[in-house]
Formats: sequence, C-alpha cells, structure tokens
Amino acid sequence: MKNKGDRKFRLNGNTILTLAGAAVYLFFFLGFMIRPCINTLTSIFTAVPDDPLAVVKFFLSGNMKEYVWNSFKLAIALVITVNFVGISIVLLTEYFDIKGAKILRLGYMTTMIYSGVALVTGYMFLYSNDGILTKMILDTFPSFNPSWFSGYKAVLFTMTFACTSNHMLFLRNAIRGIDYNTVEAARNMGANPFKVLTTVVFPTLVPTLFSLTVMTFVTGLCAMSAPQLLGYNAINPEIVRLAGSSRADEAFPQARAALLSVILALFTMIVLAVLSAYERRGHYLSVSKTKAKLQKQKITNPFWNAVMHIYAYVLFIIYMTPVVMIILFSFQNYPAIRMKTLDLKNWTLINYFGQEDYSYLTNRNVYKTRVGAVSGLFSNEATLGGIKLSFIMSALGAFLACIVVVIACEYIFKHINKKRAVALEYSLLFPWLLPTILICYSYRSFFNQEVWYVGNQNLYYGEKVRILIVLAYMVVKLPFSLRMIKAAFYTIDEELEDAAKNLGSGKLMTFLKVKLPIILPSVLAVFALNFNALFTEYDMSATFASTYGTTYAMVIQAMCRDEGLYGYNVNASGRRCASTVFIMIVSGIILYLVYGVGSRDLSERLAAKEKRRKRLQKLRMRFVRQ
Amino acid sequence: MIELKNIEVMFGDFKALNDINVDVRDGEFFTFLGPSGCGKTTTLRTITGFIKPSKGRVISNGRDITDVDIEKRQIGIVFQSYALFPTMTVYDNIAYGLKIKKFKKYVIDKKVRDIAARVDLSDEQLKKAVSQLSGGQQQRVAIARALVTDPDIICMDEPLSNLDAKLRVQLRNELKKMQKDFGITTIYVTHDQEEALTLSDRIAVFNKGCIEQIGTPNEIYNHSKTEFVCNFIGDINLLSEEAVQKMNEAGANLDVHDHNYIRLERAHVDVEPKAGDVVFDGTVLSTEYYGLYIKYHVDLGSMQIKIIEKNDGVRIYDEGQKVKVLMNPRDVMSYHPKEGKKS
Repeated sequence: MKNKGDRKFRLNGNTILTLAGAAVYLFFFLGFMIRPCINTLTSIFTAVPDDPLAVVKFFLSGNMKEYVWNSFKLAIALVITVNFVGISIVLLTEYFDIKGAKILRLGYMTTMIYSGVALVTGYMFLYSNDGILTKMILDTFPSFNPSWFSGYKAVLFTMTFACTSNHMLFLRNAIRGIDYNTVEAARNMGANPFKVLTTVVFPTLVPTLFSLTVMTFVTGLCAMSAPQLLGYNAINPEIVRLAGSSRADEAFPQARAALLSVILALFTMIVLAVLSAYERRGHYLSVSKTKAKLQKQKITNPFWNAVMHIYAYVLFIIYMTPVVMIILFSFQNYPAIRMKTLDLKNWTLINYFGQEDYSYLTNRNVYKTRVGAVSGLFSNEATLGGIKLSFIMSALGAFLACIVVVIACEYIFKHINKKRAVALEYSLLFPWLLPTILICYSYRSFFNQEVWYVGNQNLYYGEKVRILIVLAYMVVKLPFSLRMIKAAFYTIDEELEDAAKNLGSGKLMTFLKVKLPIILPSVLAVFALNFNALFTEYDMSATFASTYGTTYAMVIQAMCRDEGLYGYNVNASGRRCASTVFIMIVSGIILYLVYGVGSRDLSERLAAKEKRRKRLQKLRMRFVRQ
Repeated sequence: MIELKNIEVMFGDFKALNDINVDVRDGEFFTFLGPSGCGKTTTLRTITGFIKPSKGRVISNGRDITDVDIEKRQIGIVFQSYALFPTMTVYDNIAYGLKIKKFKKYVIDKKVRDIAARVDLSDEQLKKAVSQLSGGQQQRVAIARALVTDPDIICMDEPLSNLDAKLRVQLRNELKKMQKDFGITTIYVTHDQEEALTLSDRIAVFNKGCIEQIGTPNEIYNHSKTEFVCNFIGDINLLSEEAVQKMNEAGANLDVHDHNYIRLERAHVDVEPKAGDVVFDGTVLSTEYYGLYIKYHVDLGSMQIKIIEKNDGVRIYDEGQKVKVLMNPRDVMSYHPKEGKKS
C-alpha cells in the first residue's frame, strides 16, 4: 500500500521503462488488434462507393443468411448433444460406480490429444463413402447410402464427440470438488441416489456447465474444419472461400467476408456478455471445513445398472474406434488401406519413413512409374515442411503470448485496482470478444498492402505472411493465457515479495528468483497447451490461405483432397493416419509433461532426484562388484 | 536501539497511525499488541521500510532510517506466513539474503550451517523442500533466514497465528529461548494477549492507530492506564453501581459514576475474608470446568459476575448453590466514563 507521500511523479529508470513498455504495448494493441479490425468493419461500407449499405442489402436479399442460420443451428444443436455426451462421460467415470471406469476415462479423454482436422479426417477415414465402417455396412446392406456421413448430421456427430474435452477437464474437476458429506447428508435425510444427483450434485455443477455451454456454442458458431471437410455451409468456411475469391467472379466477396466475420463477432460478444453477467452473479462456494472425497455411487437397480454399463461402453467404442483404426492402418500399406482390410502381411512403416516408387496403368494401357509417389510422413517434403513450419510458428506464438501475459500480470498485480491495470487486463481480453476468423481475416485484408507503421511493408506478401500468422497466433492466445497465468499469480503470497525485498533483492531479482519459479509450472503448462492447440490448428492458417503459410493441418487437409491423383500422393491416407498418430504422440507427451512432470512441486522433485540417486548408486555398486 | 518519533501514516484520507512514539531498548523483546486494524502491523511495516510515514522519523541506533531503503535498514523480518520461498530448499531459503549480498560461496555455506545449528536444523533438513517441514521447523527456517544476515533488530509479524493451540504454546517457549540466546532486539506483533504477556519485556497496546499504553506485562495487566487496555488485556467484570456503593459503605472510596472493573481471579467464592474484603451474597448460575481452574457465573442480584477459582478438587459449587462472593476494593480499576482514562 502506498500513502500520500509517494504520489509525486518522478522521472527515474523505472518510470522510463514503464513508459517505454506502455508505448510498445499501445503500438501492438492499436496496430495489431484495433486497426485491422476497424479496417474490416469499414470495408463493409466502402465496397460500393455510392451505396454504403450495398453489402448489407445483398446479405439481406441473397442466400448469405443461410450460412448464418446454419452456423446458428449447428451451435444450438451442439449445445444439446455435447452437454448430453459430456455430462454422461463425466458422470459415468466420476460419479457412478461403472466397472472399468479407468479404461473408459482414457477412451473418453482421447479427444484431448486428437482434435481438429486430425479428428475430422479420422472420422472420415471410418465413416465417409469409402470409409471402413461404411464399407462394412455396404457389404451387409448393399442398398445403404454410402454418402450417409456428410453434411449437417456428420458435422454434428463429429463435433459432438470432438468437443467433450472441456467437459473432461472442467466438469470433472467440478464434480471432484463436491464435498461427499453433502451427498451423505442428503442420503441421511432420505434422498435416493437420483434425487441426490439432481438436487445436491447437479446444482453445484451449474456454473461450470453454463461456462461449458457458452464455450460449446461459440465453438459451434465458429466451426471450420468439420463443416469444410464434411461439406456443410457454415459461416467460417464461407468467409475463407469469399476471402480468396475475386471480384470478377462474384459481387464484392471481401466485403461480404468482412460482414460475415462481423456478424460472427456480434454473436460471440452477445454470448460472452451473457456469460460474464452470469459469472458476476457469483459461484457456489463450498463452506465445508473438512471436505470429504466423493465416493462413487452404486446403481442399485440391476436393470439401470446394466443400461448404464452398456451406454458407457457404446460411448467408449465411438471414442476409441477411430483412434484404434487409425493407429492400426497407419502401419498398413496403401493397397490394404484402399481395400480397408487389416492384415499382418501388409504391415509397413512406409507411412512414417522412407519412399517408394509407384507404377500404374494409364489410359493408353501402358505402365507408368512415379518416382517417390509413396512416401512416409518424415520423408514427404510437403508434410515435413508443414510440420516444421507449424512447430516453429506455434512455438513462437505460444511463447510470445506467455511472455506478454507474464509481463502484463506482473504489472497488473503491482498496480492492482488501478485504472491502468484494469485497462491493460481488458485490452488483453479483447481478442476473446472476436472470433479467430475475424482477426485472421482482418490481418489478411489489412496487411495485404503497404502499411506505414510496419515500415511500409506488405506483411501478407511472400514469407512475411509467417510473421502475420505468428502475431495472430499470439493475439488469439492472449485471453486464455491471461486467465490461466493470472490465476497462478494469485497463488503468490504477497509476503514472499516483501521477504525478498527485506533480504536485499531488487525487483528483477525477486521476479526471476522468487516469483517466476512459483508460476513457472503454470506458465509452462499454458505454453504447452497453447502450442498443442496451435500445432494442429487449421482455421487460422486456412484463413490466411498462403502457400508460404501452409501449416501441418493444411497439409493433412490437402491429403484428403489429392490422394492418388495422377499417381501422386498414393499413400496420402496412410500418411494421414501416420500424421494423426504423430499428433497424438506429440500432444500426449506435452500433456504428460504439463500434468505429470510439470505439476510436481519441489518436494516431489527432490524425492524423485533422491530416488534416481539411489538407483544410480545401486547400479554403480553392481558394476564395482562385477 | 529503535525509536519512533511522532509517526503518522495516511492511507488516502484515512489516518492509519497517529502520533506514534516508541523507544525500543537494546536486546529487548518488545510487543505491539492490539485488535485487528489497530495499526500494529502498519507500525511494524513503517519500521521495516515497507511503508513510508507521512510525518515523523524512524531512528535506529541513533541513525535516521526513515528514508533508507528496506534492504539497507539491517532489520530482519519473520512474516506471519513465514514467506518461505516454496521453490527453494531450506538451505537456499536461508542463503538467499547472503547470495544477494554477494558473499563468497564458502562464507555463505559456513554462515548457513552455523545459524541452522543454532536454531536446531539438521544438515538433512537443510536439503529438504520447505513444504516437507513441520510448522515448528518452518518457523525456525524463517528465523534463521532473518538472522543469518546479522540484522540489528528482528521484527516478527504474528508468526504463531497460523498454528494450532498446542504448537503455538510450544513454539512460543522456543521463540523466547531463541531470543534470549541470540540476545537480539525483537519487535513482535500479535493480537493474542496471552502471547504478549508471556513473551514480552515490554508491551505497547494499540487502539485505532494510537498507542494506549506502553509498559511491562505486569503494568499492562494490573495497572491498565485506560479502559480499553483494561478490557482488551484480559476478561473482566464491570461492577454495578449497587456493588460499588456496597463497597463504599464498607469503607472504600470509589466513584459510582466511574466505570469500575475487577478481574475474574480477584473475586473469590466462599473463602475466609481478609482485611478489606467486601462480602456479597450470590447464587451460582453456571460453571465452566477447565481442569486447572473452574469459572463460575454468579448472580449477585444487581449484577452477574464471573469468577475464576483454582480447582482444588474439594470446593466445587453446583448450579443454584448459594455462595458468598468476596471482593477487595483495592483490586478495583476505575476509569472515567468519557475519557476512558484511569480515575
């Protein structure tokens, strides 16, 4: 706390540093958050010089409304289906006593390491018109429609199972936080297990469920990869299409894309405002002095017990089948994949490593050989290039977002409750209000010209687009990083800083030696989660749609398109499977590092170190004896 | 040793400290005592340099340190939460201040091990994470960390408040012993009267940003200068006008308009009256059994009184029992009702 005596303004090193920091931040905030978005907004009204409302009129009279309605319909439906499945899987693994819950949980959590384009292509591999499951059904029922897995139903099905990761993270934590004594108290007062669930357990989950519902709604509204790959006319794929279209082909496509992004932004803002208003009403706080761990509830009725077990395992099969099939088929050669048959004889590593030539019969009845047409994930130039580019850009984007947020949090906590700190916090949360697609589209359209404050450069031109993508990555990850890292800052005991100061430590030293080690596990976790999400992101790079910004997800998406065309990319499906396995491994390692190794405190790390030392000593002794 | 002269601290328009004057002597265990929000921690933070006073001076060993930086004041602090760095081992926690002061490695090692030995921390414990230590051991680490840089004074901000009752008593004794062993001037902040009375050489009782009284534990307890100190330092009975009149009729010279108090242990039940004792008839309303002593609530007609009697296992009174209550007017502490000062 400061008193009146400290209020004088003094120009010293600290003040200069603060002013310089503020100037840099303002430059980035105005130049890379506000200005491009304003440009998008104004482009709607300047597309036709004589008629500022031409684009709006076009929207109201044409079929553009259909895209908005479709996205809205998908979002609403997803709220119902995702919540239904999400609540089911959490209750089945955490609340009810279901046999094999640990295995079930692993199955339900696969979407955490396997999402986005990888997941959609995985589902397509199984259910599309030449998918394994479709083929199996067709073998039994030849009249079955092979194109059954497309359009709205396919998108809804895929996204329902893809979007339950948040339930497994947040709802699971919420249910685990319930004080079991409250359940016992209700049972003691005569409530049956179902009554306990609806009157005691469920109400405490409502705030979390509300947040999850909003998140699901926004995800549905902004859906990109599933509608695009499965053929559904939603807003985002249309924005990308329009952004890449020419005025020669259709009326003011860029302005229409801008209008659609702004509509998306308005929807998002309304939904988030509702969430924010709800959150301000406060949460349920446990008043337990000694919290008891939740015990799993046995379903005493044998019929319902059987039904719940069947339901749990059906869901498990839905979650696991694509994963298992993709892993297995990633080790099969291309004829086996094409025929969708699993055979040990066809076992190969070609989808991962190495290259092979491919001979095929042309229309002129002659065999033609394409050199290196069959290539593994780590031998295919395009795939490897995508991996490298995605790796570097996502690492940079995730790192920058963390750095900006750590510095900002340090400032916010030093000036807590002051207007400038509040303003800084809100400005960092600003991208949360805007759909990712609006930010990316705005970058694409605004920086596709010489802009004075970036040294009269066209940042969309050539390789410079990568700078834009990294900046976009950083900007969209700021709100999430802020929420998580700010929570970590709250755990720092204020007295630690005082203690360090008292022992002679300067501001920087205190931050580096005392505060940073405390928040580091959280910062690393945020970095890892950001990286994980960005490494396989598709929506943003697809919006930029630049050959210099062809990310890993775009390469995977392209594999669906180009398979075997003119003898090229013969094993694209196999490589796609291998890519998905690779993504699962990378994500799995990251999640292990974050939630396994990273969450250990000093005492656990010291214990592990001691264990290693003893093991080494034992080995040495054995070696000496020999 | 350390002197506060006319200290005033403002938080916005709120005056948190008003005209604080304290003189802590060399080697003394000096306690700031008072209820929450009375200004005791603010005073401590003014001494340590975390708060700059809007008026007044802080003098240490004759040197004005009011505007001296925190780290240059030569004052060690033990925080309420101990503020041990959770990401460092016990050794690194103690060595932190020495490393900042850029001591040579072997000097740091020697100093850390010396101080650890003095506060009873083993070499094995030095390797541990602070979270692996018990509350008592953590307190010793905090003290070692504060002492290792050889400060002139050590300040402790309610270091026992987060502990359970039994550990608090145990550590209180250890703390006193350590302070005597090191002979270091100690300023201690607490809201716990018993802690203040048992530990301190002198106590300053704070109320609403001012000091009400400075004195030895005996002076504070038995000769409270103000009504606030009298009430705050221990449980007490406010005598009714009728009871005071009865005492005056027996030869006492008390003002019935004053607030007249008597401590619980100064009233007695059914004992042989001594010279000057005034006897009242009463009825036991309830008893609270504490083992070592028993607390009686007795109805005297004009007032109810709480009395503490040593538990001798023989004289135990039941609810409803008629008893004689004895009080001596010389034990009564009287305060002017408006000023709250001793009459």
